[in-house]
Amino acid sequence: MTDPRSLTDEALAAIGQARTESELAAIEVDYLGRKNGRISVLLSGIGKLPPAERAALGQGANEAKRAIESALAAKRHQLEDERLADIAETEAIDITFPGPPLGRGHLHVLTQVQRQIETVLESLGYKVELGPEVETEWYNFEALNIPPEHPARENWDSFYFTPDLLLRAHTSPVQIRAMQRIKEPPIYIITPGRCYRRDPPEATRLPYFSQVEGLAVDKGLTVGDMKGTLLYMIQSLYGEERKVRVRPSYFPFTEPSFEFDVSCGICAGAGCKSCRYKGWLEVGGCGMVHPQVLRNGGIDPEKWNGYAWGFGIERMAMLKHDIEDIRLFYESDLRFLEQF
Amino acid sequence: MKISYEWLRDFVDLDGVTPKEAADALTRVGIEVESLTVIDVSEIVIGRVLEQKKHPKSRNDLWIHQVDLGDRTEQIIAGAPNAVPGSLVPVALPGTTVPNGKLVKDLNIAGFSAKGMLCSAEELLLSDDHSGILILDAGKPGDPLTSVIPNQAIMDAEVTSNRPDCMGHMGIARELAAGLDRMMKVDFMPAFTGKAEPAGREMVEVSIDDPDLCTRYIGGVITGVKVGPSPLWLQRRLRACAVRPINNLVDISNYVLLEYAQPLHVFDRSKLAGGQVHVRRARAGEKLLCLDGVDRDLTPDMLVIADAEKPVAIAGVIGGEASAVTDATQDVLLEAATFNGPSVRQTARALGLRTEASARFEKGLPAELALAGARRAAALISELAGGQVHREWADVYPRPQEPIRIRLKPWLIDEVLGIHVPLEESEGILVKLGFHVRILGDGEWDVLPPVFRLDVSIPEDLVEEVGRVWGYDRVPPTLPGRRHDRWTPAVPSIGRRLDATRQVLAGAGFTETWNPALVSGRMLEQLRVGARALRVSNALSDDMDTLRTSLLPSLISVVALNRDRGRTDVKVYEIASVFLARVGDKTTQQPEEPLRLGVVADAGTTAESSRDAFYAMKSVVDGCVGELGAPECTFQRASAELFHPGRCAAVFLDARQLGFMGELHPSVVAELNLEGRLVAMEIDLDPVLAAAAVKRAQSLPRFPAIERDLAVVVEEHVAAAAILAVIKEAAHDGLESVRPFDEYRGAQVPEGHKSVAFALTFRSPERTLTDAEVDKVMAEIRLSLEKKHGAGFRT
Repeated sequence: MTDPRSLTDEALAAIGQARTESELAAIEVDYLGRKNGRISVLLSGIGKLPPAERAALGQGANEAKRAIESALAAKRHQLEDERLADIAETEAIDITFPGPPLGRGHLHVLTQVQRQIETVLESLGYKVELGPEVETEWYNFEALNIPPEHPARENWDSFYFTPDLLLRAHTSPVQIRAMQRIKEPPIYIITPGRCYRRDPPEATRLPYFSQVEGLAVDKGLTVGDMKGTLLYMIQSLYGEERKVRVRPSYFPFTEPSFEFDVSCGICAGAGCKSCRYKGWLEVGGCGMVHPQVLRNGGIDPEKWNGYAWGFGIERMAMLKHDIEDIRLFYESDLRFLEQF
Repeated sequence: MKISYEWLRDFVDLDGVTPKEAADALTRVGIEVESLTVIDVSEIVIGRVLEQKKHPKSRNDLWIHQVDLGDRTEQIIAGAPNAVPGSLVPVALPGTTVPNGKLVKDLNIAGFSAKGMLCSAEELLLSDDHSGILILDAGKPGDPLTSVIPNQAIMDAEVTSNRPDCMGHMGIARELAAGLDRMMKVDFMPAFTGKAEPAGREMVEVSIDDPDLCTRYIGGVITGVKVGPSPLWLQRRLRACAVRPINNLVDISNYVLLEYAQPLHVFDRSKLAGGQVHVRRARAGEKLLCLDGVDRDLTPDMLVIADAEKPVAIAGVIGGEASAVTDATQDVLLEAATFNGPSVRQTARALGLRTEASARFEKGLPAELALAGARRAAALISELAGGQVHREWADVYPRPQEPIRIRLKPWLIDEVLGIHVPLEESEGILVKLGFHVRILGDGEWDVLPPVFRLDVSIPEDLVEEVGRVWGYDRVPPTLPGRRHDRWTPAVPSIGRRLDATRQVLAGAGFTETWNPALVSGRMLEQLRVGARALRVSNALSDDMDTLRTSLLPSLISVVALNRDRGRTDVKVYEIASVFLARVGDKTTQQPEEPLRLGVVADAGTTAESSRDAFYAMKSVVDGCVGELGAPECTFQRASAELFHPGRCAAVFLDARQLGFMGELHPSVVAELNLEGRLVAMEIDLDPVLAAAAVKRAQSLPRFPAIERDLAVVVEEHVAAAAILAVIKEAAHDGLESVRPFDEYRGAQVPEGHKSVAFALTFRSPERTLTDAEVDKVMAEIRLSLEKKHGAGFRT
């Protein structure tokens, strides 16, 4: 009859020779199985032994069991180490094969650019104001110091529903509405939104477009403050190396009035094809708010002054992403929209 | 507007200032120079033709010239016959590049050498005249052409609508002088007056019927003029500004328009019936054959110049053919008037005729300009057409121009600009621009703008004058900041809040679009969603004549466009306002502008694929609304325009209907030339945003759950929601969640029935549930379903 010691030696030898986990599992069942394992079989005869030998056999069997268990564990560890040492080859995959399409959709590039603009200006304390797109003649023109028959009106050729009701030509009516509602400065707002002008569609202009206008009304604001605000905005959007210049211009609602340009990102102001050799790219208009416009908004121009600006979101997106045709934004070709 | 650099030199000393520097200076002060074309003729020399004979061999008509070049004679061949012996001509010698880009070579043409080229005006870019060689009226053989024709530089300048005074070279020159810190060489008001007898005002009778529409009319009489071509220098300047020379009188009136911005007109005085000029409204039925050969019907809205019998010109727009100057003209009436801007604009617009004159009058010209323009023109006529200018012209001036006075606190300049401009600099700038400045005892300034500046009326205007000349580049950028004792708290904008929905949609594979709000009204009507649409009264075209009442037609068109371009499985959305005319609300005429979310997705071609897409769209609604923090939506079977009658749900948030979702009606899909099926939804976002609440955390379960499936066999008409309701009611508290996950028809399910599978999760917040407890609840659920819906069960 086998004794625990020789059983152990036999088991350890088998474990030593095992090469796979399944061999180890078979050895485990063979020796340690609860019903028919060799150790169980050995112990099953324990009742027939004299009491003095029972203890010795019991102890020997336990030692054998522990020894086999620990040998199994060690061997398993060894096999796992060997396996891991080889996975660089055995489990290698072709990492140049592409992943499956994510199937995700895209936010419109104008939404993205609009939000970037808002984020920059909100960091200066400006708050977003919205207003109706179908406006009255008064809010769209007269409140902005553009009475009927004003020669500048031809710059804002508009779509009318009735003689008094039209699609807003700019988001400036929101400025008037905001001043009337807020009443007491300080007022620092931006007015993003859709606008409409009666210009036939072409590569650089559309009868519908989107603007962000800004308005600051406070005490002692200056042209320098306006320049600084525009420069901060442009540098935040396009990079610290960009410059802003303001050129005198004319709008009925600001005095003085300016166009503002951004230094060309390609030639840094030296002049190149992309800026038509001007070194500067036109972005929008700005100026110190005309006293009459403040009065129309219910603000006393003797106590307060302000500056305002406006530009097209499309124009900003075109500059940022090298987009050459404004019609792409509203054509909704997914091959364009999915690029952003 | 085209500006000739050479012309500007008449008014301001530009020595040492290149055309580019002048253009930059103008842009800096507010006259934006869009482009600059430089024509360099310094390589071209003057030659005198000594001999001209026909080329004997060439098949084309060619002429062989012997040309005196001062120090030598060269043989030059040309195609045009007009360089007859004695002509002074511009010569480009071999090796020279002519302004139009052509390189002149040493040639031999059919046996005759050709040592250069005689240039046409077109080849020198001096005009578009290519009819022959440019014949010069002065110059010495061998001298550079620049001795008679200076190098040309043409600027294309944009003049803002408040500065009609800058629609002429003199105004531009004044801006340039201020920008370069130089003085003007000439006074605004020419000193010229006529001397001939009798007094002009006795030779013509002028009346103004409507002083609102004509504030001044000067009629100058000039007799004994000789009509002929203008001198070349004048023709060249007109051509540089894209005006075609006609004859000396017409050219002079155009010249003065381009110089002073004052439109003028020259009548043949012998053709004015009764020697009379009346400024009046046209009478109904009157017509005028205009200078451009077009016979125009006049209306009483239009102001005309009439003689004793009939209209002879449309005021401020165009003259009439019958009274125009001809080669036979000897006596003329020179008109310099001030017409009402809006009236001229209206007339020009009604006639569809915008002229150089109307473009200036439209902006509103000062009446004082009329006199300056008239004097300048009279002086030129007397010099170039040899006429006798009569003294004391007719000058009807019912509303003399009111002088403007502005009280300026000069420190306002620094306050507004944010930089210190020394007072004497500010004063100097205003003076250079033609302002009179008187410094008062209290330090304030009494400022009189020049008569030609109607755009300056308030102190801020003066700040702008100083600022633009002082240079805004010199104003350092700053950020505003002072202590505020009042503020409003920051709240996320609506756009930013809706980004949560955009992210849900992006994750679900939907791409955002921005579509035009102006659509075809006819299409809205065909889709039966045009009832409350607003129609534009002056649309550009009928495919964008109406404001959209729904986002879905635009989105369906987007699907069509992308399918045309080879895309399948298009999933798109838009967030924008739609426009609905108010019904029964008289307090405002502005429409409702509800903010909407519209979503459209491809739904395959079969009833089954589209059913799956329908349920997927329901999840999109849930995801979009839920991500905004609003409570869960409910869905009720409904019917709506645009939607499939059996596959449409109304979407509710509590009791408020947000909109509809479902499969699009097959006829809508067909209407927009699409095949297959589409699912869509469109909901109002304002109530969703209003219902949004901060999400509150739920504590995590502490005890394990028990999950059971239940396949309920019911008649077809029983909705899943009805079964759900019974399950929830029968299960009481132990049921944590229940969700239908499958529908089955076929083997083991009787005809007219369906099997709906539910996944139930049971859990107690207080203890671990036992299988026996759950079995008991499941039995109660089955019993209830049997009772209420006659349900059977599949295992």
